[in-house]
Amino acid sequence: MTDIVACHDLSKTYRPDHLAVDALTDIELTIAEGEFASLVGPSGSGKTTLLNLIGGLDTPTAGEVYLRGQRVDTLAPGELADLRLNHVGFVFQAYNLIPVLTARENVELVMELQGLGTADRARLSRDILHEVGLEGLGDRRPAELSGGQQQRVAVARAIVSHPAVVLADEPTANLDSQTASSLLELMRELNQRHGITFIISTHDPMVMEFARRRVMLRDGRIVDDTVAA
Amino acid sequence: MTRSLRSGLVALALILAAFGALKATAAADDPATIVKGAIDYWRDVTSYTVVEMTVHRPDWERASLMRAWTRGEKDSLVRFVKPARDAGSATLKVGDDMWIFSPKLNRVIKLPFSMMAQSWMGSDFSYNDLAKSDQIIHNFTHRLVKTDKQDGHAVYVIESTPLPNAPVIWGKERLRIRDDHLLLEETFFDQDGKPVKRLSAVKIGRLGGKVYVTSMRMEKLDEADHWTEITYRKASFGLSLPDAVFTLSNLRNPRPGWERP
Amino acid sequence: MARLALLLRLARRSVLRNRRRTLIILVAISVALWAMIFFAALTRGWENDVVHNAIFTLTGHLQVHAPGYRDDPSVDHSMKPPNATVAQLLAGTEVAAWGTRVRVPAVVMSEHDTAGVTLVGIDPAAERGLSFIADAVHTGRYLDSPDDRGILIGRALADRLGTGVGKRVVVMSQAADHSVADRGFRVVGLFEGDREATEMAYVFVGRRTAMTMLKLGSRVSELAVMLRDRRQLPAFLARLRTAASGLDVQPWTTLEPMAQAMVALGQAWIWMFFVVMYVAMAFGLVNTMLMAVMERTREFGMLQALGMRPRLILIQVVFESCFLLAAGAAAGIGLAAGTLSLLHGGINLSILAQGAEMWGMGKVIYPAAAVVDVIGATALVVVLGVFSSLYPAWRAARRVPIEAITRN
Repeated sequence: MTDIVACHDLSKTYRPDHLAVDALTDIELTIAEGEFASLVGPSGSGKTTLLNLIGGLDTPTAGEVYLRGQRVDTLAPGELADLRLNHVGFVFQAYNLIPVLTARENVELVMELQGLGTADRARLSRDILHEVGLEGLGDRRPAELSGGQQQRVAVARAIVSHPAVVLADEPTANLDSQTASSLLELMRELNQRHGITFIISTHDPMVMEFARRRVMLRDGRIVDDTVAA
Repeated sequence: MTRSLRSGLVALALILAAFGALKATAAADDPATIVKGAIDYWRDVTSYTVVEMTVHRPDWERASLMRAWTRGEKDSLVRFVKPARDAGSATLKVGDDMWIFSPKLNRVIKLPFSMMAQSWMGSDFSYNDLAKSDQIIHNFTHRLVKTDKQDGHAVYVIESTPLPNAPVIWGKERLRIRDDHLLLEETFFDQDGKPVKRLSAVKIGRLGGKVYVTSMRMEKLDEADHWTEITYRKASFGLSLPDAVFTLSNLRNPRPGWERP
Repeated sequence: MARLALLLRLARRSVLRNRRRTLIILVAISVALWAMIFFAALTRGWENDVVHNAIFTLTGHLQVHAPGYRDDPSVDHSMKPPNATVAQLLAGTEVAAWGTRVRVPAVVMSEHDTAGVTLVGIDPAAERGLSFIADAVHTGRYLDSPDDRGILIGRALADRLGTGVGKRVVVMSQAADHSVADRGFRVVGLFEGDREATEMAYVFVGRRTAMTMLKLGSRVSELAVMLRDRRQLPAFLARLRTAASGLDVQPWTTLEPMAQAMVALGQAWIWMFFVVMYVAMAFGLVNTMLMAVMERTREFGMLQALGMRPRLILIQVVFESCFLLAAGAAAGIGLAAGTLSLLHGGINLSILAQGAEMWGMGKVIYPAAAVVDVIGATALVVVLGVFSSLYPAWRAARRVPIEAITRN
């Protein structure tokens, strides 16, 4: 199995001038292709920062990040944008969707940016919306969808162009437990069916049950990294 | 000029005047002749006068003294003596042209047409009044309205109407002329028939050897208490005035003399 | 290009979705553009009025004088009537009207008052189409012939002199032999000018009557020519200069330098106003666009997280501005067209005519929209408006707002 994600000696310090806050310190982490990993730990432990560094939204103070073998932390902003477009799918805690676009258009957005033709986009978005259980809701605006449905659209958008990794940052935090559980169920199904790598940060114990690999962070350091049997 | 010659000339002038009076009486019914007779009697062949002019306004009054020479209907020279401010200022008219001399500027200016309507030395006379003192003879048709009796004299009341295209702004004028050629009154009417200003005799007496209106007043009828009074202090008529009197050089550099017959 | 279509769609959607913001910007742009176009039309109307007035107040498109007349417009600088060569030119098809005039300073007197004027001796028939006077008679009659013995004076002058039709005034001027020329004229008519100054400045008599009064013989003061088309002026001017050598042949722009200067001033005035209006509008636009961008930090952050390059974010914001500017411009032009068509009959300035005359304005001003002004104002608003939106766009695209997208 190849490493999809690799982090070496990764550190991130906010406000390095004074009153420095070490968000991450000396992170060593590799994630293999097809893994379904969870990043756990209390608030402020560095989960979100780590995801942002892996996804090229943020740059580290020190250390290296590789995505599918490509060095990430040295890329220019435009190259980072292309990297995110082609290799990373993001699912955030809330407000994932562009409010002026319908569910289908949100899903097709990434493909459009990639330059896919109309017919391909329509077919792929129809299939993926069907797969995430939102058949018939494609023409709705985000405001016309429930919280769970919005997160499903976000997941659909994240995986539709087969990224190297889907980074989900507290995707279930705003959902009730039943909706959260079905969203996690969906993500794991997609992981298994399409072999897409998922890294999910959470402090929700339910997520930990779904994930075979569990990386625990505290005060910016990895304190535990276990793979369930 | 010897004394005897001078007195001889006076006698001749008197005879001429008497002859003129006789002629006027003979043609008493022709208003044009009456008018011309009055103007000629007033100006004489030539004249030298010392005149006091009082300009009166509701809130001030100003007196000045001047010396004036006239010859015929067209030529005249007026030179101010008092007040000191105006002393030396002079106005010369030869034919239809006028010049003014200001000792302060030491300059002779030919009066432009644009100044003709302006007041002459702050009085109720305009340069035009001076320049056209004879226009009543040439630019009007005259009609004898009636004949009054006054102080044992006949007084002709004549209404004068300007000829078409004559440079006269008045609708008409009314003249009162005594049978001995004295112009007692001249009233100026606007074109609506309303009297606008009036020249009237204030005093009659003997002057320079003849009966003369020695004091007259010009008043504006639409502005109360606005008038200018002219009083003759001295007069000599029928002098022999050489052309040199009515010249620009005399205007600028007055030569003495020419004040007596 | 697919991305461009996406950006256009995103821009269009967000403009349509944010109604309140869109409305505010639309109102700002359209009102600014309306004001710019309307003001320009007013200024053009004023310019036209000044030029029309200059040309029709006895100037024509060009004039011929004796050398020296323009410095001292007196009888001393008179000239012979047009010679055969000039007359042949004047008979040409490009000449709409021409006439010779006597034109000298004079004083006009009534029983009550005196005024300095310009005495104009005209051929009454020749003035039709050459100057305002033929159509300006308000009471009484126009002059019959060059030999007419009557006088035509302005209404305001008649009021000042306390005279009227049927009455006599005396005109004094200087004759060719330098004697005082004076003559009584019966007022046959009163004319009304576009400006009171015109009514006060000119009195009209028959040309031959004036020539006799001023002892001019056959000489005249000026020859005025009106062409069918103002654009033919340079060519005609050159030919006339050759034909009338030794005489002073000048176009209206030289004869009426004030009118020419006012046109130039109007031009500068329009652009100054444009810039001021634009700056006022741009502040509103930048501010509102900036607010709009700040409001949507999360949305722009999300687009960047999904892999939209900063340049495309910038283009999207600029597209939004373009939509707003285009719609605002259309509304502004429509509004201006409506206003101007309502004011088609002119704006009556007689209430402030005294003050307006100071600026060379007539009693009625006819707004005249010039295509170049409409295009200029629109281009200024749209082009500079796009530039003004670059700052907010740059703010949006500058960096990925991580906090906004990851924090709840």
